[in-house]
Formats: sequence, structure tokens, C-alpha cells
Amino acid sequence: MLASYDWGLIWTHRGEFLDGLATALEVSAVAIVISVFVGLLLALARMSRPPLSWAAAVYINVFRGVPALVSVIWVYFGWSLLLGINFSVFQAGVIALVLLYGAFISEIYRAALEAIPRGQREAGLAVGMQPIRVFVQVVLPQATKIAIPNIGSMFIGMVKDTSTFTVIGLLEVVRVTQNLNSTTFQPFVLYTAAAGLYVVVAFALDFLFRAIERTLATPPSGSLARAAHRRRQQRVDAVVKRVEAISGAR
Amino acid sequence: MRTTAPTLTKPAPSVSPTPEQAGAVRGEEVVRLQGIRKSFGTNEVLHGVDLTVHQGEHVVIFGPSGSGKSTLLRTINLLEEPSEGSVQVLGVEYGPVVPRKQRGNPVELRRRVGMVFQQFNLFPHLTALHNVSLALRAAKGMRRAEAEERAAQSLRQVGLLRFAARYPGELSGGQQQRVAIARALSLDPRVMLFDEPTSALDAELVGEVLAVMREVAESGMTMVIVTHELGFAREIGDFNVFMDEGVIAESGPRGFFDNCTNPRTRQFMAAVL
Repeated sequence: MLASYDWGLIWTHRGEFLDGLATALEVSAVAIVISVFVGLLLALARMSRPPLSWAAAVYINVFRGVPALVSVIWVYFGWSLLLGINFSVFQAGVIALVLLYGAFISEIYRAALEAIPRGQREAGLAVGMQPIRVFVQVVLPQATKIAIPNIGSMFIGMVKDTSTFTVIGLLEVVRVTQNLNSTTFQPFVLYTAAAGLYVVVAFALDFLFRAIERTLATPPSGSLARAAHRRRQQRVDAVVKRVEAISGAR
Repeated sequence: MRTTAPTLTKPAPSVSPTPEQAGAVRGEEVVRLQGIRKSFGTNEVLHGVDLTVHQGEHVVIFGPSGSGKSTLLRTINLLEEPSEGSVQVLGVEYGPVVPRKQRGNPVELRRRVGMVFQQFNLFPHLTALHNVSLALRAAKGMRRAEAEERAAQSLRQVGLLRFAARYPGELSGGQQQRVAIARALSLDPRVMLFDEPTSALDAELVGEVLAVMREVAESGMTMVIVTHELGFAREIGDFNVFMDEGVIAESGPRGFFDNCTNPRTRQFMAAVL
């Protein structure tokens, strides 16, 4: 049989494709937010004293090595059998991603936290800040700024890893593609469309994280940050004017 | 300002003077270090140092690199925990000589002791104004508006009010160090510690920082200054300490730079001056 490529299929089924993409993005978006928190906590555990640091190191090395496909089968089928916990496919997908990407992001955060000069913490302590406040208001914002580009890469990786969740029946891009293929027999066309969607997402996320990076830069640049920056400047200027007025009157 | 020479307590007197006596003679004791030892691993860098700083006094510490002068200064606000010895600030014990729960809280200590670092250590993600106001909000519990106004006043004191909205990366080294001084001063500390405040600066920027420090000194602030600027030390030092190899090799009141007798001190000064 001489197959002819029917590229029109993509447009015909655009609704299904976009629904699949939306599902993949939803799972990933929820998972990246939780993974950043989990990753930060793991990084702190990894940087603390033994035995906590050892436990964190073991966890991190195990889950950086586990493929997403295995992770999601553990969570969805394994935990159901072993522990009797039944997650929805959406929940199972999020948990599977957090297990893996928490480990990756903890290493990103550890490197970022270690990159902050010791003097920053010392300066915070020296002005009488509580150690926890020094961490939250001095060290963490600077470390996060360093970690952001790598967290963006992780987000892109996550969206791609949702493709393996077809095994638990999550209606993401690959599952949608498989379903369409089973009725139309156009794998080349359909999987090329799927690949195109992932690439578009990669570009979009790259753009998004560059915008976040520019917003967090000091002084902030980029359109997102400009308004907030202007407000801050005006606030400082107002304080300056008030103090100038007071001191001038003296 | 007092004229009586402060003393270095070598073996510390067993009875501390009553407040009235102290006030009449030499001002209240602000800092009293006794028998300070500090080891990093197996390497002991301070071998038992005693130093007393009185209200309003300007103590200058100098000496070669690695002599332990910065480490000694950092024990005063417990950025370095001494391995042995007593750290008393405003009459409260913070050293390891007493069990941990009887010691003062280091956070409370640091709220009364300002510190200026060699590398400025401004928070790069905050404007000059917010570098100062963050300290005020954290240490004094001030509300935002109040802290910002007080911070602006501090910046005005060091002549940088018009740079309030700049980030540290947009300021020169000298300006950054002046912001750092403003940040420490804004908390109304009882004593200011300076850890080689001009060592990281280009030569042409040293003057503006020294000028601000001179003003701080003239305001009557108690100061402990680790410095290589011996000209400035000679001018400002009410009490001068020469450290070498983890001990105080020699110390003395004003005139020390001309009267010192220890050959090691003279050798160092000859090399530096």
C-alpha cells in the first residue's frame, strides 16, 4: 500500500491535540511548583549534618536515575498494590514528576546556595537578623535568581516526560496521538505534529523564564519588571524627598 | 571626650569597677575579652587574648596578615565563636566559659554591635535604602515606612541620600562601604567594629570612607578598628594594639606609634610606614 501523507489531519484534530497539550502543561505546572519547594527542602537536608545529609544524598541519587516511565508506574500501580492508595492519573503524574524533579532541582538549589558568598549571611547576622530571616530575605532571593534558568530547563524536561504517562492513560499529547493513529494510520504525520507541539512549548517556556530572569535582575530590566521597578523607585524618591525636607528645615 | 588612657587588661582584674567608678575614671566597659582562644580544626589562631574597650574609646588593631586581628574582632559579635575564653558585651557573657543556656543570645548581642566588613557585604538584590531599612525592620521591628525614613536619614549622614534608589552594583566601592556604615549606624549600636574597611578599595576611594569614619569617631561612638591605614590609626587611636601570631605583642595609648618598644612592632611599622 502506498500511503500518502494527510497533513490535513492535524488541523482536523487540532482540538484533541490542544486538549492533550493543556493536560501535559497542567500536570507539569503543578509539578514544577511543588518540585521547587521539595527541591529546596532536599537541598537544605543535603547541606545539613549527617545522617540527614546522607539520607538526602541517597534519595537524590536514586531519583535522578529513575526514568519517568518507571516512576509513574510505581506511583500509579505500585502504591495502589502495596499501600492501597489510589491516585487519579493526574495526581499520579504530578507525584511521579515531583519525585524525580525534586531530586534534580535540589542539586540546582544546592549549587546556587553555595554560590552565595559567606559574607552575605554574615552581614545579615551582623545587623541582628534572626538566622532564619537571613536565609529567607538575604540568601534565598539571591540563590533563586541563580537557580531560575536551570529550573526553566527542568520545566521543559518535565513537559517532555509527561509523554511517558500514556502508560497510565493520562490523555496527554502522546496518548492523544496514539488514539488518533489507531483510527487514521498516519503515524508520521501525527507524531510530527506531537513533536512540533513539544518544541513550541520549549520555546515558549524559554521565553517565559528569560522574562522572569530579567525581572529578578538588579536593576530589573524588561517590560514585566519595569512597572514594579518604577513603583519602587517612586517610593524611595518619596522617602528621600521627605527626609530632605525635614533636614532642610532644621 | 575622655583623656585618661584606657588599659589593656593582661591578667584581668578579679573585681570589675562599679559603674560610678568606671564612669568617673574611664567610661563604662563596653567590650571585655578575656583569655580568647580560637582554633580552626587543629590550627589555633588566637592563643589567649585579653582586650577591654570602654565607652567612647577608639581602639585600633593592626598587625601582619594572619596575626588573628580579624578573627579577634569577629569574636566580639560572635561571627567567630571563641573556642575558649570570655566575651562580655555590656556586662552580658557570651563566651563558652559558662553553659550554653546561661549565655546571652547572639542575636541580641549583634543588635547592639555594628559591624563593617572589608568586602562591604551589601545585599546586592536590594537598593541602598532597603539595605538599611531591612536591617532596621529585622533588628528593631520597625514598620516599613518608619524604617525607610530612618534609613534615609542614615544615608544622609554618610552623604548618600541621593543614591538611595541605586543598587549596590551601581555604586562605587567607596559609596558601597559608606552605605554599609550607614546600615550599621542606623541601628544605634553601642560599639562599631570595622574589619579592614578600606582594604578592598581603590586608593582614590579610601579618603571618603575614612572621612565618614572620622565623623563617626567625632560623634563619640565607641569603635574597634582593624586597619592597615597606620596614618589614620595614629590619628584616631585612643588605644593601639599590635597583634602578631595570635597574641597581642604590644599595646598602648596615644603616642604608641612613636613610643613602641617591641622590636617586632617597630619592624612592622618600619615596613608599612
